[in-house]
Amino acid sequence: MAICTVYTTQSLNSTCSIYTPTTTKTQLSFHQKQLVLFSSSKRSGSRRGGSNTCVITCAAGDSQTIVIGLAADSGCGKSTFMRRLTSVFGGAAEPPKGGNPDSNTLISDTTTVICLDDYHSLDRTGRKEKGVTALDPRANNFDLMYEQVKAIKDGVAVEKPIYNHVTGLLDPPELIKPPKILVIEGLHPMFDQRVRDLLDFSIYLDISNEVKFAWKIQSVDTVWRASKASIEARKPDFDAYIDPQKQYADAVIEVLPTQLIPGDNEGKVLRVKLIMKEGVKYFSPVYLFDEGSTISWIPCGRKLTCSYPGIKFFYGPESYFGHEVSVLEMDGQFDRLDELIYVESHLSNISTKFYGEVTQQMLKHADFPGSNNGTGLFQTIVGLKIRDLFEQIIASKAAAPVEATKA
Amino acid sequence: MATITGINLSTPRVMAKTTESPKALPIRSPGLNNPWKRASLFRSGRMYMQPLRAAPDSISEKVEESIKNAEEACEGDPASGECVAAWDEVEELSAAASHARDKKKDSDPLETYCKDNPETDECRTYED
Repeated sequence: MAICTVYTTQSLNSTCSIYTPTTTKTQLSFHQKQLVLFSSSKRSGSRRGGSNTCVITCAAGDSQTIVIGLAADSGCGKSTFMRRLTSVFGGAAEPPKGGNPDSNTLISDTTTVICLDDYHSLDRTGRKEKGVTALDPRANNFDLMYEQVKAIKDGVAVEKPIYNHVTGLLDPPELIKPPKILVIEGLHPMFDQRVRDLLDFSIYLDISNEVKFAWKIQSVDTVWRASKASIEARKPDFDAYIDPQKQYADAVIEVLPTQLIPGDNEGKVLRVKLIMKEGVKYFSPVYLFDEGSTISWIPCGRKLTCSYPGIKFFYGPESYFGHEVSVLEMDGQFDRLDELIYVESHLSNISTKFYGEVTQQMLKHADFPGSNNGTGLFQTIVGLKIRDLFEQIIASKAAAPVEATKA
Repeated sequence: MATITGINLSTPRVMAKTTESPKALPIRSPGLNNPWKRASLFRSGRMYMQPLRAAPDSISEKVEESIKNAEEACEGDPASGECVAAWDEVEELSAAASHARDKKKDSDPLETYCKDNPETDECRTYED
């Protein structure tokens, strides 16, 4: 079965269908690139109701979708991060209305978040038969991932498959229109070089095994023995296919156990590191007091009183996989509002639009997990940096005439 | 369901208690003042409320079943693809279960309605 959809994308975010070629006549007077994309993909036999999808699209060449990659274990459902990110842009991220209730996509006014699990080439049964995990590249269709992310980046809507996490099957596809910002979230956003090259910015969420384990034993779904076994069983694949991606990330958020409480293994108090690559276009790292210096800072003292176990910051230049990076680290947690404001006022280059914007964002989502520690703080800051990056890219595209479209 | 009858039965009792004490001391049941604590409060008492945290049953059951399968699959060779894939399934299902739980927790009917109809009277919010 083949589903064919014809779209013409005039400008950002507006997609209109055309049924007869003559109706496009008037529109052709613009500097418009006619782009016909045929995406028909072969999938493994285990896929239920495998359908070929072809999208014929006439796209404007000046589309401005920027693509952000977010890598993390247990791929999607990093919705806290995503909700913080979309909140910085104003507007909440919601699942697509009226679609498949098990869709993994989140949509806000500016941003669409797609889950890369949707590009599984093997469904749950298929993986079981072959004895491969979802972490294994053989279980994923990188050709289709690349084609579709590229199409969206070029302003072309695509029919993206849906991997149903409840049933473990691939559901009929959903239409994804080009947003202003596309976030691809999952296990392998930086694995395939073609996909990686499409990313305007990339983030790797690195949760240490100690913290992963501490979080898991608190979870109600898995018992202790199960969580330990599952972390250990998946580790070889994780180390082989997921972990190496962090060397490509522009920003890494590392979540580690605290050093403020000796021998702590509860995973409630966290030490979080924000590792920011130097020399990335449109991204200038956040710093503390003096850019490029090495600083250890305990904000709690005479001016600010903190409750146990306190807060400790570190900032300095480091090397990460041979790249020059700036590292900002926060250990401990905020217990009161004034602590957060005090910290914010001492950070520089956080790309806020007004004084206290970080604090405002953190307060707005005080109910989200991590709002009182470095995970929430750094996720918010990364959100602000992405907004800044987006605005810079748009400004630079507006400044440069439509040369690209004529090429 | 047991949950519903439980609530209906107890409500008049609490009311009666308050009228008996004219001094209007704080009602002893913290559940009234902190309704979000109810689930844990009533578990030991007469009323039993299904824990809010429970994911839709089918998924929780699937998680448990997948753990059992994984343990079986790993009995022979813990490094086999079969074993590893089985634990990966546990991981995926428990993530789906916690997702489903979050979704359930978030679904307040009024909130959902007001998201789509913020202009209506019932959705008005007031400063102070």
